[in-house]
Amino acid sequence: METTERLVRTWVASGREEEIAQIAADITNGQSTLLNVVKALGEYLVSEENELRSKGVELLSLVLQQLAPTTLNRPSVRTLASFYSDKLDDAETIIPALQGLQTLATFPAFGPAEATTVIEALIRHVKMKALTQNHRFKVFSIIDSVMANHRDVLKGMGLKFLDGYLSFVEGEKDPRNLVLVFAMDRVILIEFDISQRVQTFYDVIFCYFPITFRPPPNNPGGITADDLRLALRSVVSASPLFGPLGIPHYLENLVAVGRPAKRDILETLAVSLPVYGPKVARSFARKLWNSLKLEVFQPVDSATEELAVNALQVLIRTIYTPVEGEPEEAEIEGLAKDACEECLQILREPEKSQARPATRILCAFMTTTSSVAKYTVSQAVPHLTKLFINPDEVGIRPATLVLLAQFIEAARDSSSTDSFLLPYKDEVLGALSSGLKAHNLRLPALTGLKALVTSKGLLSDQELGFIIHHLNEIIQDHPDQFDDISDGILELLSCISEVSPQRVVEQTLPILFSSLPDSAPARDAASERAQIWKNLSYLQTLCTEPQLFETLVICLTNKLELLCSSADAQADLEPSAAYAHALLKTLANVLAVKVKRKHADVAKYLERLVVRVFNLFVHAALVPGEKQAVINVDPRLLQAAAQCATLVVRSLPSSRQEPFVKSVLSALITGNVQPISEGYFKIAREQTLSVFSPTSTSAQKDLILLFTAAIIPVFKEVNLEVPNLGQFLEETIKWILEGAGSDLQRNAAVHLVSVLVNRKADELQDFLESIFTTFWAKEILDKQSPTERRRWAVVSWTWITKALLVRNHTRALQFSEKLFEVFGDASINWGAAKGVGMIPGHDDVFTKDNHAVIKILYAQKYVRVMLPRTIEGSVDGSDTTKQVAYLVALAGLIKSAPKATYLSELPSLIPLLIRGLDLPDPEIRHNVIETLLAAADGETPEKSLVAEHASTLVTSMLKNCLAAETPAANVRIAALRYLAVLPGIVRYDVLHPYKAQVVRELGKALDDPKRAVRKEAVEARTNWFKYNG
Amino acid sequence: MSSELFNANPTVFSSTKSTSSRITEHSAQSLWLRDQNDNSDTESEGNEVEEIDQDEIFDLIRTIYDPEHPNTLEELRVVSAPQITVGRNHIKVEFTPTVPHCGMSTLIGLSIRVRLLRSLPSRYKVDIYVKPGSHQSELSVNKQLNDKERVAAALENPPLVDTVEKCLAKPSSVAFQLV
Repeated sequence: METTERLVRTWVASGREEEIAQIAADITNGQSTLLNVVKALGEYLVSEENELRSKGVELLSLVLQQLAPTTLNRPSVRTLASFYSDKLDDAETIIPALQGLQTLATFPAFGPAEATTVIEALIRHVKMKALTQNHRFKVFSIIDSVMANHRDVLKGMGLKFLDGYLSFVEGEKDPRNLVLVFAMDRVILIEFDISQRVQTFYDVIFCYFPITFRPPPNNPGGITADDLRLALRSVVSASPLFGPLGIPHYLENLVAVGRPAKRDILETLAVSLPVYGPKVARSFARKLWNSLKLEVFQPVDSATEELAVNALQVLIRTIYTPVEGEPEEAEIEGLAKDACEECLQILREPEKSQARPATRILCAFMTTTSSVAKYTVSQAVPHLTKLFINPDEVGIRPATLVLLAQFIEAARDSSSTDSFLLPYKDEVLGALSSGLKAHNLRLPALTGLKALVTSKGLLSDQELGFIIHHLNEIIQDHPDQFDDISDGILELLSCISEVSPQRVVEQTLPILFSSLPDSAPARDAASERAQIWKNLSYLQTLCTEPQLFETLVICLTNKLELLCSSADAQADLEPSAAYAHALLKTLANVLAVKVKRKHADVAKYLERLVVRVFNLFVHAALVPGEKQAVINVDPRLLQAAAQCATLVVRSLPSSRQEPFVKSVLSALITGNVQPISEGYFKIAREQTLSVFSPTSTSAQKDLILLFTAAIIPVFKEVNLEVPNLGQFLEETIKWILEGAGSDLQRNAAVHLVSVLVNRKADELQDFLESIFTTFWAKEILDKQSPTERRRWAVVSWTWITKALLVRNHTRALQFSEKLFEVFGDASINWGAAKGVGMIPGHDDVFTKDNHAVIKILYAQKYVRVMLPRTIEGSVDGSDTTKQVAYLVALAGLIKSAPKATYLSELPSLIPLLIRGLDLPDPEIRHNVIETLLAAADGETPEKSLVAEHASTLVTSMLKNCLAAETPAANVRIAALRYLAVLPGIVRYDVLHPYKAQVVRELGKALDDPKRAVRKEAVEARTNWFKYNG
Repeated sequence: MSSELFNANPTVFSSTKSTSSRITEHSAQSLWLRDQNDNSDTESEGNEVEEIDQDEIFDLIRTIYDPEHPNTLEELRVVSAPQITVGRNHIKVEFTPTVPHCGMSTLIGLSIRVRLLRSLPSRYKVDIYVKPGSHQSELSVNKQLNDKERVAAALENPPLVDTVEKCLAKPSSVAFQLV
């Protein structure tokens, strides 16, 4: 007791926290009691001196705050509650008293009786206007606690509480308080009987709506405009009693406020209407419709329009949702009917721009209630079909069909089970199919038909056949018009083929196939050739579904075999070869689409397509001494066939890859082609290939392309069954250096080696060691060896390194760094330098799709090691040969590297890159500019790395963008693109001196011989024209 | 709102696909089918000159916006490819105002002129006309559009240039067209 007294006195004098803590601690561990504190405070609490009284209460409140909520028993709480309630009356003690009550109200021993006392005292004594924000907050917190724990007490107080509460919240402006108030408002509105105070609640709540709050700079409490908006929305939409008052309030504001508030109102309306209920909605239906339609017919922006449409949907749903238990009204009366009629009135002139929002609204009605949807369809669709067949209205048919198509789409997207369109199917189908007959109606007709076809369970198989029939007519009778809208027709046919592939196979494909001749058009028959190409491109788009693709493969492989076998001693084989190429390419392109879409049927085309195509090439390579075969005329055929092989093998599971890949490797090693070449041409058992033999024909050597293509997508677990893989790879490399006859063959062989290294590196330790030491010394370092041979040795080295790097092999960096050793060797340094850049880059061989062994972040690892060394070398000017090589490596490296890996180095890189712009190799300059473009991404005039180099860049880019000085079109395009972005990333005052020069020089680029370059020049020049400070 | 529009409810047409993606007889002069995904061969056939043609000019002006509507000139059929003639160093562009009393015709013509001024080599002389019989003050519009001095004077007028820039702005991502 004495201690407490002493502590109390000390605190009153000092105001230190230590004493409070001490008192609280004493009470908690039983050395003192709250009663002692009150006793000790006695003199202060009744003191005549205002300050002392205030201090006395404050001390009590502070101690209370420090106590655990369970410390106090019921009687103490009761005493304290009435004590504090009394103190509310005293202007000097009200603030500490509120503080104490705030704590007390959260205590579990704070019971209903105390709640009544406190609330009544609050209502009696507290004048909110006299309090500051944080004290008002305390009042609200007390009420909030009571609301949470003793709601029934408050309810029991009836109007007394409501009126008191209303007087508290009235005029509150602080966002921190409002968040709390809105939360309490919602509880009161939902749970309390407010029927006698609706108007007052409306007044104190709707005065905030729509909220226009912008957080102040320091934003105390961190409350955002959205917090308030959402809190308020939940309040205004809390009670159905607000309906008659709220809706006029919304509508009044809707016309008066700016866009964000408008959107807020529309969203709030959509939330409120279901709460306010159908009765209110119905009574305001007209007014709501008049206001909302304005937002759709004259939208301020598309987001607002969207919300207005949504609000309308909610309105309709609120009014027309059938009450459970009552039968659905057959007749649609009221708003839906009126609005529908109003829109239909507008739709009498479907070609006018107002028809679009009218349709939008009607379509929106379709996703409300099924009765309204049915009604809307029954009004709009027959109207449009009638309008369409009216001979007086021919001019507006296109617009009519456009709208009709939108209705079909809306009906498709809204109906869950039976389509609302079912009753009008015949008329709609009639209008659309007759639309197909007129040139200007075809596009909307196709859109509409597509929506019909994609509506579930609407059209019968027979009707689909009917549509196909009409489409076929266009394809057959108006090939020129078909060409214009082929996209739409093919899309529709594709949709149909998903539902009924057999129909398309039987009806449409024969037409397209029939226009593919058995033999190639003559060299000068350009129009015939263009027609074939077009047909192939149509087939390519259409034939992705399994059944269609099967038919396509059969047809095209037959044509191919025919082309290959019928070529007589005809002098000119090239047209046939080109035709065959077009056929192969078509197959490859469709396969590519199918693989991307993960079609399961691709796998079966190993036997049906790949082996058959292999047969054509193998046969042509094996037939000795005869005239050149069609298939061997041009390597492009090989490439297209190789593409097919890669795509199909890629889709095989490893169990099916294994036998095939084994057979391919065995064909390379032993020459046995039987298992991989079955088809049109019979190949005798004794005929064997010898691809790697030095005496082999170039046709045989070319087969390496096909074989490699089949092995590129092999899984790593596939057992290759090559007796000595290392030796096989060494022989292959030897062949690259000595035996191969063309770069295509060499590249294919390099890929073959690297793919196998990538998959089987673990069993190739000895091979890698031998490459690393012997091969490096003998084939790359040895200057006696012919340059060309050394060059290919470097390429092989690079690809082996790449194969190791992507799988994060431990030797990968050893291999890479060795390339730096030959940077001083003028005959191969260029290749080595490009290799350094190429190794981490993307390529088509080592991809996830090809089942390559790839570990994540391999490029980052590589760049982290190689980039600093490359930069170091590029800066070092002591040996120009080396320095140029380093620059070349740098350009490539950055091009291949992910931007994040070199971002931090950019400031030092840019001057080096700019030097790279002077190198003679166009590929390098292209890389450099592409890198600069990538670096420009994210740059701003305020913070630009290139600003200080602006002058050099402008001059250099201008040089690189003119056809007279730069023959490579891709460099010109890149340079122009860079010029186009410059004004966006450099401050005007820096670039301004060059404006006139750039505009003048770009004028020359506008006359570039290449269309693609001119396009970029236009873009760049426009940007410079618009470039004003 | 703002002053009344000259044509409040224009008919909107669909735009056709870009000419560059089509297979034409011209491309079939070559025996070999070009790979559609492969653009890298621009380099390989470096010596072949592609002349500026009707379609290229059309591609330049089709995307210009109508001053009154969120539609392009192509969608409103104000310009079309057949209305463009390309000579050796001479280009004639004809355009059709949506209504004969359209007060925006000069502005549309000016936008076309500015776009071509910026996008064509200076060796071309460009004439811009409204389609004969499509406008009530055809003569004066034509005169204004093809008078060097008047065009230059118009381009000295900042608010006017602003409006022209708006018409020439890049197509926004929001598609207004119906089809």
